[in-house]
Amino acid sequence: MNTIRNYLDNMFLGLPDTEEVIRAKKELLAMMEDKYNELKDSGKAENEAIGIVISEFGNLDELAETLGIKHALENKSDILQVTYEEAKNYIEDKVKTAPKTALGVLLLIMSPVLLLLLLGLKEFTNVNAKEELFIAAGLAVLIAMIAIAVLFFIRFSSKLEKYDYLEETVFELDYKTEQMIRGIMAQDEHSYKSAVSISVAGYILSALPVIITPLIFDIDGLSVISVAVTLTIVAISTYNLISKSAVNAACTVLLQQGEYSVKSKSNKTLQTVTKVYWLVITAIYLAYSFITFNWAISWIIWPVAGVIFAAIQVIAEQRS
Amino acid sequence: MISSDVIRGYIDTMILYLLLKEPSYGYEISKRIRELTDEKYIIKETTLYSAFKRMEINGHIESFSGSETYGKPRTYYKITEAGKMYYKEKCKEWEITKEVIEKFILREWI
Repeated sequence: MNTIRNYLDNMFLGLPDTEEVIRAKKELLAMMEDKYNELKDSGKAENEAIGIVISEFGNLDELAETLGIKHALENKSDILQVTYEEAKNYIEDKVKTAPKTALGVLLLIMSPVLLLLLLGLKEFTNVNAKEELFIAAGLAVLIAMIAIAVLFFIRFSSKLEKYDYLEETVFELDYKTEQMIRGIMAQDEHSYKSAVSISVAGYILSALPVIITPLIFDIDGLSVISVAVTLTIVAISTYNLISKSAVNAACTVLLQQGEYSVKSKSNKTLQTVTKVYWLVITAIYLAYSFITFNWAISWIIWPVAGVIFAAIQVIAEQRS
Repeated sequence: MISSDVIRGYIDTMILYLLLKEPSYGYEISKRIRELTDEKYIIKETTLYSAFKRMEINGHIESFSGSETYGKPRTYYKITEAGKMYYKEKCKEWEITKEVIEKFILREWI
């Protein structure tokens, strides 16, 4: 009897787990079981009974139209199928690594903070400490923080590397898996939305120190320090957003929504542009900051680049 | 062996005939088809199941769950009024089909 069950499982392998398909499988199995039992009762040997049942089963193509799996049968080998297990592992790994990725980003954003504080404090101190010393200390910490962040990213990106195909290629989920993901996403929605609201409030508030400080005090040092405060608020808001949106982000990838939609994935140009764009922005930021030492202003490139990127995405979507 | 192409148009008729007397389930129907035709036609499981689905959608049969001697739930099918009408139509159609084809059969070649 196990042979028959395995045979049927194999025939149904890769088909979507819709209600219709599950029902068909159950009823076909019942018919085969009845036939097998009767053949055995009539004195047929095990192998002979199995042989007759399987040879008289027919062909699944016949059921394709009735079950609405015609599409699935035709494209069975063409489109990648992501299994329940794969999807579950992906979400779990994403959630596990999220706090560490968030910490890496926090370190990156915070990296110029000490340098800015020292540059600001320098204006007030009467100590005859040399300016170079302040800058050297601040720079050392900046580079150390970037180094730690990069180490974090390398470690976790290699851990998540095996899931790259989920973000880059078009795939299909079966019914059961899709329902599971939608369920997880719905459960997480409340905590995701409140995390987004808190972070957005943080981003808006973060502009206050840099705007207000120069209006009230006409002291250069304070303006520089206010940038440090702004960056700290941005860093904390981003940490909160990344660490709490892991479930939502993973589900978005798995359900192929937003920038991971089938449409965007097939737009290879946009993918390339995205990668190149952010590398160029990072290069400009680092080059400008180190050459001019205008750390107090150079960070502006990030919000500006973000808005420009959103614009590029909208244009690309309309073109395709 | 009969070509399944020819018989395809009349599988529904065969099933409806068997359901006229009393409701029945998958294996019993396939077994009775085999017995009635002296094993000249053995219906494939997939053919039978797709016929059930098609006829259910067309409203010729209805399914319900009942239990068998083994105690496990089984899907039973029963004929509807629309199914009876359809069966009658198909019987008439067959009479004509038979007459038409008969004109082209050389008796002495059989």
